[in-house]
Amino acid sequence: MDDGTTLWDEFKKGVITENALLKLMVGLCSALAVSNRVENGVFMGVAATFVLVCSNVLISLIRKHIPDQIRIPIYIVIIASFVTIVDLVMKAYVPAVYERLGVWIPLIVVNCMILARAEGYASKNKVAYAAVDGLGIGVGYTLVLLVMGFVRELLGTGKILLFDRTIVSLGSFNPPLIFVMFPGAFLVFGLMIALLNRYETRKKQ
Amino acid sequence: MKRVVHLGVTLMLVGLVASVCLGLTYSITRDKIAEQKKLEEAKACVEAMPGINKPEELKEDKELEKKVREHIPDVEKVFTCDRGYIIILKVKGYGGPIRMAVGIGKDGEAKGISIISHNETPGLGANVEKEEFLGQFIGKAISDPLEVGEDIQAITGATITSKAATKEVKEALEAFEEIEQAQ
Repeated sequence: MDDGTTLWDEFKKGVITENALLKLMVGLCSALAVSNRVENGVFMGVAATFVLVCSNVLISLIRKHIPDQIRIPIYIVIIASFVTIVDLVMKAYVPAVYERLGVWIPLIVVNCMILARAEGYASKNKVAYAAVDGLGIGVGYTLVLLVMGFVRELLGTGKILLFDRTIVSLGSFNPPLIFVMFPGAFLVFGLMIALLNRYETRKKQ
Repeated sequence: MKRVVHLGVTLMLVGLVASVCLGLTYSITRDKIAEQKKLEEAKACVEAMPGINKPEELKEDKELEKKVREHIPDVEKVFTCDRGYIIILKVKGYGGPIRMAVGIGKDGEAKGISIISHNETPGLGANVEKEEFLGQFIGKAISDPLEVGEDIQAITGATITSKAATKEVKEALEAFEEIEQAQ
């Protein structure tokens, strides 16, 4: 971009002002589903970030050679390839998490958050900007999943498990299960949106 | 016409490069994936049979597997050892397949059960891994009813998971019968 935006602005935009989940509200389906545990949320976030950055960079690199009529199929092929790479690597090195994330990893292919960045940003911008854009959106996505996972796991099961080790425990607290179930996802997600909006309106005043 | 060929060739090239990359990734991760799967299974098998300490003491019997699978398609693998059989099964639970290893002694009683993988709801169905639930199956034989609500107490709030797991153990015991008859 030549309008003076710095890379740092681009990064911040992805994390806060254009946060994929809290602001643009894209890619919600998988986010609500996998945020029941911190571990699931983080791995899903890292996987999506990897795909976002790689596909953004590659698409930006070849953007001048992609014929307009077939750009969408090309984006999909590129995104699907990166997702399959992530899928295989996770299967090989973190099988327990992979097993739990299940279908959501291959479904990153159809996550509109990623195609939206490819079509709306990477295909029109320079490589460095596209990379930072992907990274920013990915980090924003991961952070939201991390916070949601933390709240839901802690309240819903009474403790946080990371690689089968208890990190935080609420002791003898009887956890309301609803938080790890689907309604919990909506509750926590809704509250997060409300909090972010409140923070922003306060800042404006 | 020229335009169409240009588009086609471009797409083909993209596809080609993508397939090569995927092929490479696959060939790098393939062995590791197979190894992980074996490791997971071996761990579960050892857990499912008290008295067995090392995976080396078990032997997979492909022929028995085939025979048993004809009648009980949920059976994935059959291992033999000097204390009995370990049967790996896969049954659909609430959130996806539940894979478990069931150790059955020579006397036809379930000796131990170990869940290899599942995708049940955390806090509810995921309690299927707990000793409180799985312990109920130890000592059960084919003559027992093995019904949720009768001799098996369901996990609170997870009837489907409980039923699936119970069905799985029952099928393992049936598989044991098949094996006994075959020999």
